[in-house]
Amino acid sequence: MPTTPTTTGSRQTTGSPSAPGSPADKPLLDRLFEYVKESHPRSLRGLLEARGQDPARFARIAELYLQWLVQARGESGIEAAADAFAQFSTDVNLAQARYERDGAYANKSFAEVYEDHYSDAEAMDGYLWGIYLTNFLWAHHFQIMTFFQDRFMTRLGGDAKLVEIAPGHGGWGVWALAHMPEAALEGYDISPQSIQIANSVAAAAGVGGRATYAEKDALDLKQVEAESADGCICSFLVEHLEDPQHLYKVIAHLLKPKGMAFITGALTAAQVDHIYEYRYESELVTMCENAGLRVLETLSANPMRTLPKAKFMPRSMALLVQKRGNEIY
Amino acid sequence: MSQTLEQLNEVFQDVFEDDDLDVQAQTSAKDIDEWDSLMHVNLILAVESRFDVRFTSTEVAALKDVGELMSLVEKKQG
Repeated sequence: MPTTPTTTGSRQTTGSPSAPGSPADKPLLDRLFEYVKESHPRSLRGLLEARGQDPARFARIAELYLQWLVQARGESGIEAAADAFAQFSTDVNLAQARYERDGAYANKSFAEVYEDHYSDAEAMDGYLWGIYLTNFLWAHHFQIMTFFQDRFMTRLGGDAKLVEIAPGHGGWGVWALAHMPEAALEGYDISPQSIQIANSVAAAAGVGGRATYAEKDALDLKQVEAESADGCICSFLVEHLEDPQHLYKVIAHLLKPKGMAFITGALTAAQVDHIYEYRYESELVTMCENAGLRVLETLSANPMRTLPKAKFMPRSMALLVQKRGNEIY
Repeated sequence: MSQTLEQLNEVFQDVFEDDDLDVQAQTSAKDIDEWDSLMHVNLILAVESRFDVRFTSTEVAALKDVGELMSLVEKKQG
């Protein structure tokens, strides 16, 4: 069964010892909130909404994520990631506003997105750390995190073999490993920045020995071992693809019989690199079913606020699925 | 009050639905409770439309106060 990693005790840092009264002496979550309040006041309301849903649980998850961040990036990592989060949130909000106006996502092809965004290593670094913080600083993503912990992690054996497709910052899989002391994870991503950051987060969390990340295109079935995983994590990738149906087939391919997957996707939620526009939750469910996956549970979450007079409600959906053994279940 | 600031004030009044709003160059989100991240992009789109300019996301995120928005508008207008 999963265990709970401790969030208390002394904090190791990569820098030199801090002077008394320096920012490094404050709880990391306090430091983050104070910095956002001072430097990005327009973002503060969203943070308060996320925390307000369950302050104690929010603090536990946030402190853990922030400890790993500081371990991976040094003491200034909090402020740098908060800057990246504010920029990423602006990117998203602006893209959503233009989507409301135009009625369609700006990008139609992966090649377009790669050229404009993924090929820029420096921008990718900020992008990934910004997204890292959205896991708990966006209220609806915090809901998805609790679903991941309560419904997915608890169903896996403590020694599960996990595969994470497109781990990005690595936070999802590392969090799972931190709760499952005997589990191991392989992560595949096409981005070298992602591999580097995911490795640094895994090392910071003390699970580096159980996490292996490889620069690999998981969409190429030849590169993915069949029936090799007890669990699969695939977070917010489907909307970045031109043909997401194929990805669900890859997930079914790599899962052992009755293996479980945690899949998330965005619906009517524009972003500079979103391509496939899901409009209804049933579309993700149908793609799972078409790929040989049985949908056990779902959660569709949305932000607490939208743009005024919005036609679209941006949602994030999580699906807990199991590989079917036959046509029915 | 410059002409740009005067026009920006009208946009602010319209977006925040407050005819009594009187923004100055140093006015920031700390002075207007409703000026959160979502209202910010709503404001930006209204400014783009009013002044026939287009901002990048990096410019939008970096804006600290009305004065910076005013300078950016004037720079875009050449």
